[in-house]
Amino acid sequence: MLNDRNMKQITLTLVLAAFTITALANDKYQKAMLKNIPSVYAAKTLEDHQKVINNLMRIAEAEADKWEPYYYISYSYIFMSFKEEGGGKKDQHLDLAQEALDKGVAIAPKESELITLQGFIHTARLSVDPMTRGAEYSSVAMQTLNESLKLNPENPRTLLLMGQMMFGTAEFMGDSTAPACELIGKSLDKFKTFTPSNPLEPQWGEAQAENALEACDK
Amino acid sequence: MKTLLPALIFFILSTDLMAQINVQGFVTDQKGQAIIGANVFLKGTYDGASTDENGYFSFLTEENGEQVLVAAFIGYKQFELLVDLDTKPDEIRIGLKEEINKLDAVVISAGSFSAGEETKREVLKPLDIVTTAGSSADIAGALNTLPGTQTVGEEGRLFVRGGSGNETMTFIDGMQVLNPYNSTIPNTPSRGRFSPFMFKGTSFSTGGYSAEYGQALSSALILNTKDIPTQDRTDFSIMSVGLDAATTKVWDKSSFSGKVQYTNIAPYFNLVKQSLELEKSPVALDGNFAYRHQVNKDGMLKFYGNFNRSSLTSILNDIDDGQIKTRYQLDNHYYYFNTSYRDILNDKWSVKSGFAYTSGKDIIGINEDEVVESDNGIHLKTTLSYDASSALAINFGGEVFHRKHRQSFSAPEQGQSFKLGFEGQLLAGFAEADIYLSNKFVTRAGARWEYSTLSEKMDIAPRLSLGYKAGQNGQFSLAYGQFQQTAQNDLVRVANDLQPEKADHYIANYQWLTDKQTFRIEAYYKDYYDLVTFDANNLNDPTFYFNNGNGHAKGIDLFWRDNKTFKNVDYWVSYSYLDTKRNYRDFPQGAVPTFASSHNFSVVYKHFITDIKSQIGWTYSFASGRPYHNPNEPGFNASRTRSYHDLSMNISYLWKSNVIFHAFVTNVLGIDNVFGYEYGTQVNNTGQLNRRAIRPMAPRFIFLGVFITLSKNKSLNSLPNL
Repeated sequence: MLNDRNMKQITLTLVLAAFTITALANDKYQKAMLKNIPSVYAAKTLEDHQKVINNLMRIAEAEADKWEPYYYISYSYIFMSFKEEGGGKKDQHLDLAQEALDKGVAIAPKESELITLQGFIHTARLSVDPMTRGAEYSSVAMQTLNESLKLNPENPRTLLLMGQMMFGTAEFMGDSTAPACELIGKSLDKFKTFTPSNPLEPQWGEAQAENALEACDK
Repeated sequence: MKTLLPALIFFILSTDLMAQINVQGFVTDQKGQAIIGANVFLKGTYDGASTDENGYFSFLTEENGEQVLVAAFIGYKQFELLVDLDTKPDEIRIGLKEEINKLDAVVISAGSFSAGEETKREVLKPLDIVTTAGSSADIAGALNTLPGTQTVGEEGRLFVRGGSGNETMTFIDGMQVLNPYNSTIPNTPSRGRFSPFMFKGTSFSTGGYSAEYGQALSSALILNTKDIPTQDRTDFSIMSVGLDAATTKVWDKSSFSGKVQYTNIAPYFNLVKQSLELEKSPVALDGNFAYRHQVNKDGMLKFYGNFNRSSLTSILNDIDDGQIKTRYQLDNHYYYFNTSYRDILNDKWSVKSGFAYTSGKDIIGINEDEVVESDNGIHLKTTLSYDASSALAINFGGEVFHRKHRQSFSAPEQGQSFKLGFEGQLLAGFAEADIYLSNKFVTRAGARWEYSTLSEKMDIAPRLSLGYKAGQNGQFSLAYGQFQQTAQNDLVRVANDLQPEKADHYIANYQWLTDKQTFRIEAYYKDYYDLVTFDANNLNDPTFYFNNGNGHAKGIDLFWRDNKTFKNVDYWVSYSYLDTKRNYRDFPQGAVPTFASSHNFSVVYKHFITDIKSQIGWTYSFASGRPYHNPNEPGFNASRTRSYHDLSMNISYLWKSNVIFHAFVTNVLGIDNVFGYEYGTQVNNTGQLNRRAIRPMAPRFIFLGVFITLSKNKSLNSLPNL
């Protein structure tokens, strides 16, 4: 017969066990992600990107409620599109980036990082054919980035992408780049003070912001 | 119980101590070629690897028992295999099957040029239509620089592969448009009523088109309107020929756009002398609106409406006696309304449905006489698409056309008047299947059924297209089809029970496409039959109308486009060779019709100069001499005009991010082009009939305009439109 004390023990044991399993499982997820994230940033060739995408795809499919793997898959496809030659191939990779991002957004619809990445995809689409897509995609990208900024006004990557978009437009039009550069400067300040709330969060952008600011000083 | 916790912890930790099993093997395609970068893994776990340059994979796992091994790679069907990890698995060999991928796969391309912002295999983008010099921002004008078209300067319409202007049918969002060109007086070119700014995609087919499109003997111009725009904007234009204002308002799930345009060419005609004497220069008021509503994720409801009123009065001189003048007055009222709905019902089925109404009325005054012609049309259509698999798609649907045409003539001085007309329905059904045997080979087979209440006849027209992809960029296509079209209004209104006119198309095409270069060569043969013939001396007697005319057209079209070789330069070259003859209408014998020239050639050049933020365009067009009938000489349509040359240029200057200046000049060199000759009825003192050349109203046309866009985001301008 089980008495109260036994019941308490069992409950406690089960709760502890559950915590342990969860913690270990999370630890497994975190460990796997932390192993792959540096490869996302370090990838040089299309093969490097494909390899880390494959690794992340396995994690994403095993973890139905995690948006981070999809974020990094999408991010990797964007960089693959930059490295591809020819508009058709570039667009195909951006289609894959969009597909991965959509899966991430379905899990975390209010995640500013994901919305920012959506803005990045629009920017990448624009760069495939600026003459035809310039006006349409610059407006769509700015709208998306504004949306992201509403979710997190502190996101330095959002500010950086906005600044770069404004810079490109101003330069093309022969207008003053000062407002764009001000925004890029602001994003760099945020990068300096940005502390990720967890180690899986995106951390790219500071070096790009520094480069962009250098272009401003020229 | 006290042992439970350590036991559990031991159990969890022990997984680290369990034996690791090595899973390895090769992934290849069906031909045994190694696939590099395929993702091979155990379903639901992190365990897996990417294949290397030999297609080899190898990974360690602590899983045990039966597991599902997955191999995945973009462009191939995902492969799954049950493996038992308890018995050490052997080297696993996996052959992946290619997936039919619409992006990479062969496409049906015989006869068609498609233009869209997002399609990857476009030939002309919407932007190209308006930046083509000589196009005068007119859709037909730009398409006239593509092969398969014939330059017919006094008409302004699309004449395709030996077909008359009436043989090209225009469709907006799948719905038929009657009278898509402005009404003009004889021998002056008309313009399309629909601004290219409205459309996100254009597909121009010069033959062999889908069974979905009927009532077109030669060509289908398929225009798809834009979806919901991204932001509010207001546009103003001040042009040498008029003014317009447009506004767009965007809500969460819907949008409204409206535009009003006032055209008055009088100030321009006062400055630049025209050969035509005008009592009242052309004046037009044109308005259109579009409402879009996103009903659900994929459901899109579109309303589009257009109205147009135009008028002009000209004085025509008699050929024989310049003192005899005819006052020709034209008023046109036009309304077009179109609503369409499309939705994806589930991953297999999608639906498109639409309703279109056209009402056009020309009131023509010739001195004291008056001719009123009205045309009303209703078109209803529903199309269902069924994607059976990635290799088979079926498209089918039905449509109803209701047509009512009236012509009334009254000559009060002679006390004469008569009325002609017809009213009837046309029912049609179509079905078509796209069958992909592989990414390299596609067949489209279908048929179209039509029944007309006027001719009381039923017809079935088969269509067949094949595409074969030879290598990364090259593709061969073949197309065959029967096409039919109700005879023209001026014929059916006399003889109501005329049968449709018919043409069979045979097309062979080779296309080579990369992202920035396109080469096409297409050969075709067109067999015309059941064309209407009549007797010019018994115009109003239906018993003199027969469906016994015939003809043929054959030729070769060549196209080359390149925006790679020269930086910031885009150019294309088109050449068409046409050999055609027909015996129809009141022709006394088989002859080349007056609109057909044997050789048409054009070069379009566009250069964006970043330093001055301007795009400059040049277009040169050439057409060999066109036939005309010279009653002073023996034979019919036996004489030829001199050849046609035109060099046009345009410039767009981006002054500010939201202000664009645009100018164009046609026929910069002022070449004296003659489209044909008209003859008088009286023999002059040399024993010949007098003649008059049909020429453009002025050697050149000059246009100046400034386009201003107001929006919250200043970077938006008319550039995507212009």
